[in-house]
Amino acid sequence: MSKFSNDIVDHSRQHRFSPYAMNGGNILAVAGENFAVVAADTRLSEGFLIHTRDHPKTIQLTPTTMVAMAGFEGDILTLKKNALTRIEMYAFEHSKFPSTPAVASMLSKMLYYRRFFPYYVYNIVAGLDENGKGCVYSYDPVGSYERESYRAAGASNELLQPLLDNQIGGKNLRNVPALTVERAKQICIDCFISAAERDITTGDAVFVYVITKAGVNYDKFPLRRD
Amino acid sequence: MSIMSYNGGACIAMKGRNCIAIASDLRFGIQGQTVGMDFEKIFPMNDHLYLGLTGLASDILTVSERLEFHIKLYELRENRKISPKTFLSVLSNLLYEKRFGPYFIEPVIAGIDPKTRQPFIASCDLIGCPMEPEDFVVTGTCATQLYGMCEALWKPDMQPDELFECCSQALLNAVDRDAGSGWGAVVHIIEVGKVTTRRLKARMD
Repeated sequence: MSKFSNDIVDHSRQHRFSPYAMNGGNILAVAGENFAVVAADTRLSEGFLIHTRDHPKTIQLTPTTMVAMAGFEGDILTLKKNALTRIEMYAFEHSKFPSTPAVASMLSKMLYYRRFFPYYVYNIVAGLDENGKGCVYSYDPVGSYERESYRAAGASNELLQPLLDNQIGGKNLRNVPALTVERAKQICIDCFISAAERDITTGDAVFVYVITKAGVNYDKFPLRRD
Repeated sequence: MSIMSYNGGACIAMKGRNCIAIASDLRFGIQGQTVGMDFEKIFPMNDHLYLGLTGLASDILTVSERLEFHIKLYELRENRKISPKTFLSVLSNLLYEKRFGPYFIEPVIAGIDPKTRQPFIASCDLIGCPMEPEDFVVTGTCATQLYGMCEALWKPDMQPDELFECCSQALLNAVDRDAGSGWGAVVHIIEVGKVTTRRLKARMD
């Protein structure tokens, strides 16, 4: 943490400029049978300071793909811009948008390109694959990625991931209710309410996006502002 | 590598309606290697007062034995059972005595007050700073995971059966996301006049 954090002062080492900052926040995505749900909070913070309460962490790259990003805002902005440009170039060349697995693969290569000065960003790509099934891809900062059914990332991913294992993955449960859009949305909101209680960088509001073949709809829910 | 994560372990206590739940995992490890799968971290101090300890295993045993000694002497002198709030003070004092060379443990207390019959939970840090919340306490190598689970699953005034389910699910799913904890779990539900102990079927890794 000390490598990336600017607000913890270490008195016994030579002062060095750190190119990274931690801007906090959480993101979360769940893949359903024919939908995907992405949730991201809107707080941008640095240490104990809140820069803004109204800064969503997602971007829609294609009609069926969204990317959520958490970590260092400087790298998030650049990565968003570069990813959008690449998608536009693909669409111009191929006269169609790339599929979600294609976007996922592209993002992985973009991240690994910067293997020796990484983007300090935790990404989650969510959308519908070519068969119309929901898909979620999660990444580490240098591009290692995997398709999953659900993933939480960001400042309090350790708080949220076990809850998703239990409620969506049905771990340690005998039977778990079917995953409908409403249930997925409700679980996402509950996750963020819990995260906002225990993590100082999460709060203010959460955007919940639902990606179906009809398009992307979103709702905004308020969270604790403290 | 931190001293607090050398042996691994997790402990949780939750308040319900006239009852409390206290639970721990069963792993005893030496860094990466698991050497014991039946190391319970909950120690009964008396019928209605249970102590859970996580951290360095050696200090877990030492502190629990020292506290048992203190409690037995208390009961002999005072001729009554110690109340959980007083026990918290005894524990806090014992830990702060070692302020500059502490016991590497994080304790959790769960008990029912012998006079008022009210449920009581509390926890301390390794130097004895007490905390008495109204809902739940968690300690161990997967404390963050436990906080996430408890925050979502806990609600006030649960009956013993519901509290058992809530506590078990919170513990099981949190330790499944931690390499240092797991290998089974034990849960005690303490009501007035009754203690139910159950071992949980869990992932053994």
